Amino acid sequence: MTTTDDALDAMPKRGINFAAMSSALSLVVIIVVFWAFFSWRQPGFLSSFNLLTLGRALAIDIVIGFAQMVVLATGGMNLAVGAIGVCTVMTSGYLMQTLGLPIPVAILGALALGAALGWLNGFAIVRTGVNSFVITLASANLFSGAMLILTKAVPLNGLPPEIGAFGKMRINLFTPALPVSPLLIIAIVIGIVLFILYRYSVLGRRILAAGANPRAAAMSGVPVDRVIVISHVLSGLLAAAAGMMLVARLGAAMPSVAGEDWLLPSFLGPVLGGTLLSGGAISVVGTMLGALLVTTIRSGLLVLQIGNFWLQLFLGLILLVAVLADRYRGIFAERRRLRRAAA
Amino acid sequence: MNQLRRLVLVEWSGLAVAIVIGAAILSMLAPNFLTEFNIYVMLRSFCVALLVGFAQMVTLGVGQMNIAVGALGGLVAIAFGGMMEVYGLPILAAVPVALLIGAAGGLINGLLTVRTGINGFIITLATASAFTGINLGITESIPFYKMPPALVAFGEQRIGAFPYLLIAPVIVAALLGLFFARTVPGRQLLAYGGNAQAAELSGIPRERTIVMAHVLSGLLAAAAAILAVAQLGSAQPSIGSDWLLLSFAAPIIGGAALTGGHVSVLGTLFAVILIALIENGMVLAKVDPYWVQFLLGALILAAVWLNRWRAVRTGTA
Amino acid sequence: MDLAIENVSKSFPGVRALDGVSLNLKGGEIHALMGENGAGKSTLIKIITGVHRPDSGRVLLDGKPVEFPTPRAALAAGIGAVHQERNLIPRFSVGENIMLERLPVKGGLVDYEAVHREARRFLDMLDRGIDTRVEVRTLSVAQMQIVEIAKALSLEARVLLLDEPTASITEHETAALFTLLRKLKSEGVAIVFVSHKLEEVFAIADRVTVLRDGRIAAANEPMSEMTRQRLVTLMVGREERVAQIRARPSGASEVVLEARGLATSFGHRDVSFELHRGEILGLYGLVGAGRSELARTLFGGGEITGGELRVNGRPVRIASMHEALGRYRMGYISEDRKQEGLILMHSVRENIAITIWRKLAGALGLVAPRSEARAVMPFVKRLEVRTPSINQTVGNLSGGNQQKVSIAKWLAAEAQILVIDEPTVGIDIKTKTYIHELIGEIAAEGVSVLLISSDMPEMITLADRILVMHGFRIVGEVENDHRYETTSKAIMSRIHRVEETAA
Repeated sequence: MTTTDDALDAMPKRGINFAAMSSALSLVVIIVVFWAFFSWRQPGFLSSFNLLTLGRALAIDIVIGFAQMVVLATGGMNLAVGAIGVCTVMTSGYLMQTLGLPIPVAILGALALGAALGWLNGFAIVRTGVNSFVITLASANLFSGAMLILTKAVPLNGLPPEIGAFGKMRINLFTPALPVSPLLIIAIVIGIVLFILYRYSVLGRRILAAGANPRAAAMSGVPVDRVIVISHVLSGLLAAAAGMMLVARLGAAMPSVAGEDWLLPSFLGPVLGGTLLSGGAISVVGTMLGALLVTTIRSGLLVLQIGNFWLQLFLGLILLVAVLADRYRGIFAERRRLRRAAA
Repeated sequence: MNQLRRLVLVEWSGLAVAIVIGAAILSMLAPNFLTEFNIYVMLRSFCVALLVGFAQMVTLGVGQMNIAVGALGGLVAIAFGGMMEVYGLPILAAVPVALLIGAAGGLINGLLTVRTGINGFIITLATASAFTGINLGITESIPFYKMPPALVAFGEQRIGAFPYLLIAPVIVAALLGLFFARTVPGRQLLAYGGNAQAAELSGIPRERTIVMAHVLSGLLAAAAAILAVAQLGSAQPSIGSDWLLLSFAAPIIGGAALTGGHVSVLGTLFAVILIALIENGMVLAKVDPYWVQFLLGALILAAVWLNRWRAVRTGTA
Repeated sequence: MDLAIENVSKSFPGVRALDGVSLNLKGGEIHALMGENGAGKSTLIKIITGVHRPDSGRVLLDGKPVEFPTPRAALAAGIGAVHQERNLIPRFSVGENIMLERLPVKGGLVDYEAVHREARRFLDMLDRGIDTRVEVRTLSVAQMQIVEIAKALSLEARVLLLDEPTASITEHETAALFTLLRKLKSEGVAIVFVSHKLEEVFAIADRVTVLRDGRIAAANEPMSEMTRQRLVTLMVGREERVAQIRARPSGASEVVLEARGLATSFGHRDVSFELHRGEILGLYGLVGAGRSELARTLFGGGEITGGELRVNGRPVRIASMHEALGRYRMGYISEDRKQEGLILMHSVRENIAITIWRKLAGALGLVAPRSEARAVMPFVKRLEVRTPSINQTVGNLSGGNQQKVSIAKWLAAEAQILVIDEPTVGIDIKTKTYIHELIGEIAAEGVSVLLISSDMPEMITLADRILVMHGFRIVGEVENDHRYETTSKAIMSRIHRVEETAA
């Protein structure tokens, strides 16, 4: 066994998604530049109040990005992330306000609903063989249509105060100048779990294999259909988690909050972070950084009082620039590799 | 029997049956369904919807998708309205400029897609956000209300049950039908969508074909936006914000292949009629307008299921 | 028109497909391009037709250097081709597919009367039985091939490249094609003809160029001076060494896999065979005989509509590969390495470990990369996979090393029944011999192998018994004496007998 071990030590420790790593690195640089710029133009950007608000928004953006990322891993997409989110928001509100159930029960109920809706998506995709885009486009409208019919689009404002208090809570990390929302801690914990899932677990590895090449994965004994359904369940669960965090942040269950508003952010995080749309490669850290960039820009434009109207334009341009930069970096790397191979 | 089966397998046959049954039920349940005015109302909403469906159909034909249909429509709508209200441009000058803006938006989508090789979904998701951003940045969500009276009149006038507005989509449908069935660029577009590699080996230019589809999509979105302004009598920044689902629903229910290479002008037209019928039925039945969204989602699912079933039956799965 | 290739080289990630290749085509000549799978023939054709661009070297047309950045440019210069991949638009009619390059236009609109009239003219040269108005997706594979040839003819090109045009058509149609090619030749067209069938090459070609491993083995040699023996030697290479497979007692051990009168949704009828422990059972058949479809059915890829399948004596219904591997220790090495065998963007380590993740997983279902590496390493060593590291992306390895990886994962999974489909397609000779010896070795260790191959020498080297499949039926069984002359004759006679009774 000694020779094997020697050979092992001579090798890089583990497979690394280099594309994701280099985009993560450039993301960090871009984020630092934006932070420097915003705090230079408006010192209030670094105020503890703004940091806390930013952290709360960031937490939700991260989890929304994760909800999309876990489906992108399979090479599919989930346009129903927002619809599932909004359904779980209203369900939790209904359970707490109308039925008066305790908060943990209501949250569990909402999470279960998210998972169930995700399962419906996955089941329909696997059963019909129709691509996930169309199925989830249809189901998104099915879900949010049903939610609107049932709630009549009336917000639920009478939730138990504890839930809003949790959303407003601040945990002082090191100093009071650096307050952290518990929501952000939850998002990071979810990130760690996902990181372990995709890096070390059989399920995660199978999901990535099925995403990279479903036929080859199936031929190697990976139950591809089951893996796709599980990914959608996971996506629904994460969308529900984001929904719950939103309820905590707003202290109310609003029927108008998600829907199509989540569509762009859900793709922004993963795509900026180097997750491939074609499946098989994801980056948990990249998704978190992507979400951080988006939240930074949103918050920065707000404190600079440029207003929300131009925000959409900025987000669109950032996404374009990011994917273009990534593309050219990829082409450059490929050329260099070929030149080395030829030499 | 054989002929009956063939009829069943024709893409829009199911739609035609659904429309006839739906119309029959509605006319029995709602006495005001078959009134001239109600039909006029239905046809008006049909006009914009059909063009929106076509705008997506052309990108589906080449094997792409255009998430920016609605965002581009919104931008064109406020540009169109703004030109007339703020700069006092006459309608006949504003229409071609508005169409040009739509085509330019499509050109940007197309060029970015072919030049970068990035998935068209992401490109148009990004440009959609950018277009919406420009729209909101300019208008700050405030509509242009002062539209030329001639335009408003065009949007309201009718001959019997037929609104003047109907002229545009009818002409467009005929031209598109001809384009896809009988012109070389139209056939090349579908050939590329059907088998990109084979089309390229047959000398069909990749970049030009994809860009053409996106430009056409932008043009059709712009046409839809102009009609929407005429129909509403004002240029609302929110025009287009609810087109995404509709734009996919119409061609897909109409039998377009999602993988590209096959579209149906007639099928899309029937699908939009069916959608208009459902919307109208909801209004007449005085149920929640949210039911429309729900039913549209269900309808898409039913359509893909039916297409799948048909493919299995004809052995072309 | 004359076409010359000068010193052309082309690399793809992990492979040097062409290395300094030159070729001279003269108008009025049929030039055969020969070589084994993976020798670089298709790459060369794709460079001439503007699909790929050469890394170095140039293409000369009538003595003048030309560059074809796109297929369109090559077409415009009068170069037409039938490529190996299916290149038809499924939803378009036969006629429109044939005329797609230059649809006739009248008054700005496509003139479909003219489309079908013109298409008919070219199609009639080959086959009168195909309607030009039906959609291509309704045709059989052979009919599609005819349409592709008609399409290339319709270009009235001055240089015509045919990449295995006869792979799936009947002898009758081949004869019609040859008559046509001779006529085109007399009209001064330069024709390149790629085929694996030596008889065809000797029947039609004037000159031959042989490629081996991306290099020229023989250039522009007159066919009249070529012998069959020499051509084979040129293609295969001098250092050809036949794998030494230890003889095994056949039929002595117990039956592990048994089919009894199997009928499938693919159209197989009455397929029966027995696979014994440690045996290599060959399944030989031409392209389209239904071999791979049978393999697929064994793993749930097709429906068993009649008869019965038994594993270790018990009747089974296998729904998926997942079940086959998990419950019956059955594995499948696909002929399509890139699509089905490997996950190219993942590492060697992950590609081999994919079958044993469950086994490696700890308490929480977690797999440590280190234990994965430990499990994988012995196989990388045993199979001599040439890779800088087990973390290398499989897509960057050569074809032979890729194939070793796709075999290694089944060895790692300790599969007891292994279906191996065309194990050496597109693989260099040395690795081929190695893989043959490896298959012999694992069979000697007690693994039962169902070997599917259309490579006759491979079959005769490896198999203990050979089942002959034709038209989705088993038409005979041949005891392999490992002598090429007798066994190949025995196999072909089984196929011919069926064809005669059918005719």
